[in-house]
Parts: sequence; C-alpha cells; structure tokens
Amino acid sequence: MNELKQALRRTLAQPGLSFVMIAMLALGLGATTAMYSIYHEVLERPLPVAEPERLVNFGAPGPKRGFTSCSTAGNCDEIFSYPMFRDLEARQTAFAGIAGHSAFGANLSYRGGAISAQGALVSGGYFSVLGVRPALGRLIGPQDEPRVGESAVAVLDYAYWRDYLGADPGAIGQTLIVNGQALTIVGVAPEGFFGTTWGVHPKVFVPLSLRGLMEPNMPRGEDSRTTYWVYLFARLAPGGSIDQAATAINALYSGILNEVEAALNSDMPPDMLEQFRRRTITLAPGALGQSWMRDISTPLTLLLGVTALVLLIACANIANLLLARGVARSGEMALRASLGASRARLVGQLLLEATVVAALGGLATLPVAALTQRAILALAPDQIATQITVDFSGRAMLFAGTAALATVLLFGLFPALQATRATLGTVIKGQAAQSVGGRGAARFRTTLATVQIALSTVLLVLAGLFAHSLVNIASVDLGMGVDSVVSFSVAPRQNGYTQERTTETFDRIESELAAVPGVTSVTSSSVALLANNFCGIGLNVEGFDAPAGADTSSSCSWVSPGFLRTLSVPLLTGREFTAADGPGAPQVAIVNQAFVRKFGLGDAPLGKHFGMGDAKTAERNIEIVGIAADAKYNTVKGEIPPLFLLPRRQESRIGQLSIYVRGAVEPQALLAAIPRVVASVDPTLPVQELTTMRKTVESSVFLDRLVAILSAAFATLATVLAAIGLYGVLAYNVAQRTREIGIKLALGATPQHVRATVVKQVASMAAIGMTAGLIVSIAVGRGAGSLLYGLSGYDPAALVGAVAALAAVVAAAAYLPARRVAGVAPMEALRYE
Amino acid sequence: MSEALPGPMIRLQGLEKSYPYKGGQTWVLRQIALEINEGDFVTIMGPSGAGKSTLLAILGFLDAEFTGEFWFDGQAVHEMSPKARGKVGKENVGFVFQQFHLLDDLTVAENLDIPLSYRNVPRKERDARVAETLDRFQMVGKKDLYPTQLSGGQQQQVAVARAIIAEPRLILADEPTGSLHWRQGEAIMEMLSGLNQNGTTIVQVTHDERVAGFSRRVIELADGWISADRKTK
Repeated sequence: MNELKQALRRTLAQPGLSFVMIAMLALGLGATTAMYSIYHEVLERPLPVAEPERLVNFGAPGPKRGFTSCSTAGNCDEIFSYPMFRDLEARQTAFAGIAGHSAFGANLSYRGGAISAQGALVSGGYFSVLGVRPALGRLIGPQDEPRVGESAVAVLDYAYWRDYLGADPGAIGQTLIVNGQALTIVGVAPEGFFGTTWGVHPKVFVPLSLRGLMEPNMPRGEDSRTTYWVYLFARLAPGGSIDQAATAINALYSGILNEVEAALNSDMPPDMLEQFRRRTITLAPGALGQSWMRDISTPLTLLLGVTALVLLIACANIANLLLARGVARSGEMALRASLGASRARLVGQLLLEATVVAALGGLATLPVAALTQRAILALAPDQIATQITVDFSGRAMLFAGTAALATVLLFGLFPALQATRATLGTVIKGQAAQSVGGRGAARFRTTLATVQIALSTVLLVLAGLFAHSLVNIASVDLGMGVDSVVSFSVAPRQNGYTQERTTETFDRIESELAAVPGVTSVTSSSVALLANNFCGIGLNVEGFDAPAGADTSSSCSWVSPGFLRTLSVPLLTGREFTAADGPGAPQVAIVNQAFVRKFGLGDAPLGKHFGMGDAKTAERNIEIVGIAADAKYNTVKGEIPPLFLLPRRQESRIGQLSIYVRGAVEPQALLAAIPRVVASVDPTLPVQELTTMRKTVESSVFLDRLVAILSAAFATLATVLAAIGLYGVLAYNVAQRTREIGIKLALGATPQHVRATVVKQVASMAAIGMTAGLIVSIAVGRGAGSLLYGLSGYDPAALVGAVAALAAVVAAAAYLPARRVAGVAPMEALRYE
Repeated sequence: MSEALPGPMIRLQGLEKSYPYKGGQTWVLRQIALEINEGDFVTIMGPSGAGKSTLLAILGFLDAEFTGEFWFDGQAVHEMSPKARGKVGKENVGFVFQQFHLLDDLTVAENLDIPLSYRNVPRKERDARVAETLDRFQMVGKKDLYPTQLSGGQQQQVAVARAIIAEPRLILADEPTGSLHWRQGEAIMEMLSGLNQNGTTIVQVTHDERVAGFSRRVIELADGWISADRKTK
C-alpha cells in the first residue's frame, strides 16, 4: 500500500512526463480498443441466446433451377425451398430442432402511427431452437403455424415496443397492421435480441407461413420445390457432434433430392442433374448467426493490425520515456539497494509505477476509444452502424485494461532492469546516470526509433495503397450522371393495396413529383441502382444458339419512361420508353451494350426479339427497341452485366419501386420536397431510403472509403508518434553528448561538423528503418491486394509517397536537435554534467 | 542486534578488483588484506582514485565483482550466492553518504521507514521504531517535512538516523561530513562516535584529518594498494 502511495506520488510529481505517457497510451490503445470492439462485435460476438456454440447454419451448394430470393442472411447457396425445410424439420432426428427464417420489408402501423421497417418471417421452432425467452407475453411457436396463411400473430422487437409503443404491457392482444394485414401482438422479444441475421434489425417477427401475405409480390413458394427463399439453422442434439449431425441430415436430404426433387429437374443437362443429385447439406458453426455482411473479416483484421502497429509505436515511445526516467533515477535505485532493497523489489517498484501509468492510461483510453469508434461508425452505412453498440463496459474495458497493463509492463521491463543496474560505487562517484545510460541503453533507444520508422513506413505505404485505390474507385466511369439526382423507394403493396391501387399510386407520385418546381425529370425502376440489388432471368434470345448448360441469364429491371434521360445514360440507338408502352401494347425492351455482346446481336440488334424463361423454348415476344450505353447496375466496383430494361407499366406485379428525381435545384431542396409530395398522394405510405444518388454511390464503396480514411488517419497518427519518438531520442542523445560536443567545439570543430554527427545518425536510422519498412510493406501490400481496386499490392507511387512523406517528417524531427547541437557554447558544455 | 562472534567481523585476504580495458586490465584494488573487529571505528583515506569508494561498496555487499577472499563473521562472502550476500548485507550494514542521498519525494518519517520496509518488518513495529528514532534524534517536529525543507546538517542527521534504524552492526560512511560546515560535521561525528561506543562498528571514508580523528584506526590507500594502517588513539 505504501509502495502504491509512493508510485502515485511519483506519477503526480512529474505531471508533464506522466501526461505524455498517458496520452500516448490512450491514443495508441484507444484506436486499438475501438477497432477491437468493432472487430469483436462483427466477427466474434455470439448471438444472445442459450449455448450459441451448439447452433449450426445450413448450406446447400450446387445447381438449382427456379426462383431464388437471397438476402442479407447469406448467399444463394444457403437458401432452401419451403417444402424441403418442412420435410427436413419433420423427419430429422440429428438435431434438437431446425428453424427457418426469411427477411421482409414491413410497413408497420399501430394506432395510426406508421413506419417502414424490416421484419422477420420465422418458423414455429425459431425461438425454441434459439432458447430465447420473451420479455413479455409469448413468442411464436409451432401452434402459430396451423396452415399456410392462417396464423395472424406477431411478436414485437423489444426496441420497437419500447420506442414506438411506449413499453406498454397492454400492447399484448392489440392489433398491429403489418403490410396491410391485421396481426395480433402476442409477445415481445427480449431486449438485445435482434434476430439471427447480423446487419438486419427486424422490428417484428411473424410466422413463416404468412410469407404470401407479407410479400405478395414474390412468387408463391410454400408449395414449390424450385422456389428457394428460406434460410435454415439448427441446434445440435445434446451430446451430438456436428459431424454426426451432418451425416444424419445428409442421409435424409439425399433421399428427398433423389426420390422427390430430381424428377422435377429432369430437363437439366445430365451432368448438371448428376451434380444436383449429389448435392449435400453443409453445416457451419452458427454461434454468430447468419449474414454475408460479416464477410468483411479481411479489412477488419487489416485495420486491427494497423491499430496494433500504432499501439506498438506508442509503446516504443513510452519505453523510451521510461528509459530516460529510469536513467535519471538510477542513482535513487542504487541508493535504495544500499538501504536493503533487492533488485527484484526495485524492478517491482518501477513496474508498479508503470502500472499506475497503465491504469491511468487505460482509463483515458475509454473516452478516446469511444470517440474513435463513433468516428469510424460515422463512415459506415446506417444498417451496419446501428448494429454495433458503443459499449465500453465489459469486454472492451477488459481489453483496454489488459492491453494497457501488458504493454506498459512489457515495455517498462527493460527500462526497469536498466535503471536498477547502477551500483553503489557509481552512486558514490556520482556516475550512476552514465553507468545505466550507456551504450546498451542508447542502442535500445536507437533501435526503438528505427523500428518506429519501419512501422510508420509500412502504415504510410498501406495508406497510400488504399488512397490510390479510392482514387481509382472515384474515377470509375459509372456510365450515368448521378449528381443532382435524388432517389427513394415506396412499397404500396406492403400497405396491403391491390395491384391496381399500387400502380395508380406509382403513377400519381411520379406525375406529382414532375410538377414540383425545379424538377427536370422523374423516373423509376423495380431494381434499385447501385444498391447491391439484383434481378436475373434466363432468356431465349433470337439468333443466340445456347449450348447445353450455357448461362443465358441477363440482369433486368422494369423502368418508367425517361429512365435513360433522367439518369443521363446515353441512348445509342432506337428509342426510350414512352407512355404508350403500357398494358396491352407490344412488349418492348431496351438493352445495353453488354447484352448485345453476350448474345451476339451484332450491328443490328434493334428489332430482334427475346423471351424470358427456358433458353430453347421460351416464347420470344419482347422486341428490342433501344440500345443504351453500358452503365453500372448494382455495384460501383463490379463489372457491368448484360441488362435489359422493360416498361414497368407492362408488368402488373410490381409492388415496390425506386424513384429517381433529377432537379435543377439543390438536392437538399428535393430531399425536403419528396416526403411532402408522397404524403399528399398517400399519407400512410412510408418513404424509404430517401437519399442522393451521390450518397448511394458512396455507400456502395463505403468499405473502401472506410479502409482508406482509417488507414490514412492511423498512419498519420503513427507517423506523428514516431516523429515524437525520434525527436526524443535525438534530443536525449544531444543532451548526453553536450560535454563531448563542447570539447570538440573548443578544439576547433565547426558547428557544421558537429551538426553532421546528428544528421549522420538520423540518416542511418532512417535508411535502415525505411528499407525494412518497404520490404515489409511490399509483403503486406500483396496480402491486402484483394481489397484494392485497379492496382496491385505493389504500387511504386505508394512506396515513393511513403518514403517522401516520412523523409520530410524525419527531417523535421531532426531539425531542432541538429540546430541545438550546432549552437552549443563550449564553456557551458564543459560545465555540463 | 546480532550477538558478536569470535574472530574479526571482517577479514579481507588477497582481495583484488579490476576492469577490462582495451585488451588489458585497469586495477582498482590490489592485494587488500585487512581485518576489522566488531566495535572498531576505522577510517579509510587516500587520494582520489585510490579505490576507497570501491572498497566501501565491497564491504557493503553491493559489489561482488572481485577476486580474493572476503570473510564476514567467519562466513565466506566471496562464495555466497547474490541472494545470500544480499541477505547478510541487509541484516548487518547501514550506509551514510556525503550527499546524504535522502529520497526527496519522501518525508523524513518515510525516509526512515524505507530500510525497515525493505527488511519486511511488520507495519506496526516499523511505526514504533520510526517514532522512537525520531524521538532519539529529536526530529519529531520534522517528521512530515521533505528533505529539501531541511538544512544540510539536518539532512545528514536524518541520513544517520536512517542508517541505524534497522540496527545494523556495521555502518559504512562515505565522507559523512563532506557537505557540511565543520560545526555541523562535528555534531554528526559525535553522533557516530556515540553509536560506536554503543557497539556499532563504523568504517568511514574521508579526506579530513579532523574527521579521521574521531576513529581509532586509519587505513590509507594509494593506487589500490594499502599504503598504511595506523592507530589514531
């Protein structure tokens, strides 16, 4: 206790030094803690359910024909048909239970208040398989799935119940309108439970068997074995292993495939049918739930590594400061030894003092980490940002505390051992500082500074690579003009409207918007542009002789007249759609250049016909009336796919549209006007995803932007810390050598000569550090190649830029010590001890 | 205090110390042979660089890098492990320095407490002994002051008090009055003499003949060799 009191007193006695060490630790560790917290949240945090490690996710890779509807929960290899799910659920014995789920867009209305949100269709076993208990009422169970479409119940998300229903216990038994259907609220899910799909926060859970009512626009899939839309997971039976479960479920699955489903796919080419018959269910650990959005482990790991390097540089500075302090206190340590202290006790005392710094640094880390995390999340799209809770109460605090203690103790040990090396003899002679501040310590300090230069080189090269990649992305030709365009979506069908009313609502919104002053054109599409949405259909194209098994699919979208004009996509030949391309008119299409190339339409594609469906037999009833220039479709970075556009008025099943408004006024004015216009058409219709197209483009590449901005920010921080470290080493060395320098000056050396000694030292440290850093950078750059766009991991511009930037920083750090050394007054220096 | 054993407290035989220097050696102590009995008051004198401080450090168990024999209470220090050597030193030796070497960030009472805490004396007993020592040296009113708030003489008084608080049998004093006016120094020497009269063995290093006059024996060093060993009383 006495030692602790003295350690605290010592820390307070040197407030400047303590502040610098605590600040360095807080900066380095704050960045690392923030990144670790996000890393943990995205890649490590299990679902808040009972024994999450016993959960497994289902996959079924291999060929499948028919309609697929994939979502955030996973890719299209992980979805099953509803009948297959029910067969597996009913007949399996390897699991404690299997559950199915699917996401849907939900318009929720409770006592007049309407919001647009996400919902989850869940099977009767969903909550029991997870082992989740309700916060209020009951959860959906097998009793809620008597027959398809006959279980009008809903379970509320806790946050929705709290924020929109005022946490009213009386809500149980009340009616909630979900996509126009009246459902009875039977319970509230527990707080903190956001479903099983990371990145999706459903506000309501409804029985899976209600899918036809919740998503009336989607193909009815409850009876179809070739309509795939259900994601599955299961809980292993007590004592059962994942391998045993895989063997058992695949015996069942193979039987259903071969005895029931193979016959439904008899028109498949033989080799594909054989693959279909041999498909198996893959089981993957399911503790984290299901989500393709978690597939960002590479950039997250990289950024965590970057922050770890920043921390390492900060720790090197702390070690240098501790060493300098240790040298200054070596006499005291020798004295304490003469008073009976063992070396272990002295080292322990110094480490205790370092621990006090670590504890204060750890405390200071938390606000820095919180601010850093907030800044990072501000760069992420809302759907990801809202999924990550800024929580520094538990694991993050433990991480910060442990890391602070470990780093300070690790980096404090050598200085402590150095400081306790002086013997009483040297104290008596007043030479303790020289004794422990000798060559070994000097080498240690120089090595640390050189390592800092090397690490900074690596970080600057990485930052340069990602910045260059971002520049490449920014200069991608989208093939369309997104500036001055605002977009949003509406889904009248989710309000339970008929198709006629839905179409009428679309038409009225478009015409009302076109009348708004400053609006120059309005259009719409069934597939939202650059938003990772996708529509793909197999085609039978005139003149294209598809070999067996060939890919005959093309991307598609149903659009309003003026689509190309509004989005500034050049029409190369033919015509745009007009109001005349409506129901009953001949079916027409506009295709892009990639479509023309893929299907070999040559120089005269206009007037040719194609049909949707089987590549050989589908009726070719759609005439190509226009050719559009290639433009990006679903992503900014992805290749431009073959695309055909159809008039939306010729498709009667569209329940949701993305609407684009081009204006001659500021986008902000359009953003403000749109909700008013939509409300004037239908006050109960929520406006969804209202944003500028520029923002949509940015969201599409948010990960690239995030990595580039963060790596640049962390590299800057690291370089500043390294510069401080380098300055410290040089300044200390100059101070240590003042007497020697004075003698040299007294003997006739010129200021240039003594300055050269500093410059030489800096140059050798920089040369070694940068060379090592460049070698490591090239290797790290190659590892990060998959995250770069339009360049490889070896980028001479990034390497040269990093060296130039660091050389400037090193020169700046060396300037003051070099100037000081040349300005030493010989007589003053000779008095220096 | 430990019971005195028969024979000299300290016996050095053929003790030498050197540092390697450019392929050769620089000698600090050469063929040192001497005996110091329990209760002696010995002064080591000699010019700068004669090896006085080095010899003091060896006698204080703080420097084990020597050749030859060092016997303490009949125990072969030169054969001891570092741990055993440290234990013997801790139990038997106290130091007084020319520059006082008080710990500036500790109060007078805390400075006195330090040697006891390093000997793992229980807290209660430590408090009692610190209080008793403060009383004995008439420093009760200064117990909460920091060293920088004391005069040089008062600081050396605290340093002597700190040296004896753990009741060492041997006090090693390096120029104990070197930083003091003679009147202050005289008071300190009388204090050391009093301790010696109560049985504490004292070995001091000094350049000052008046200070040496308080001891009963003077050993002179020159270039690491013992050049004289004479009685003063």
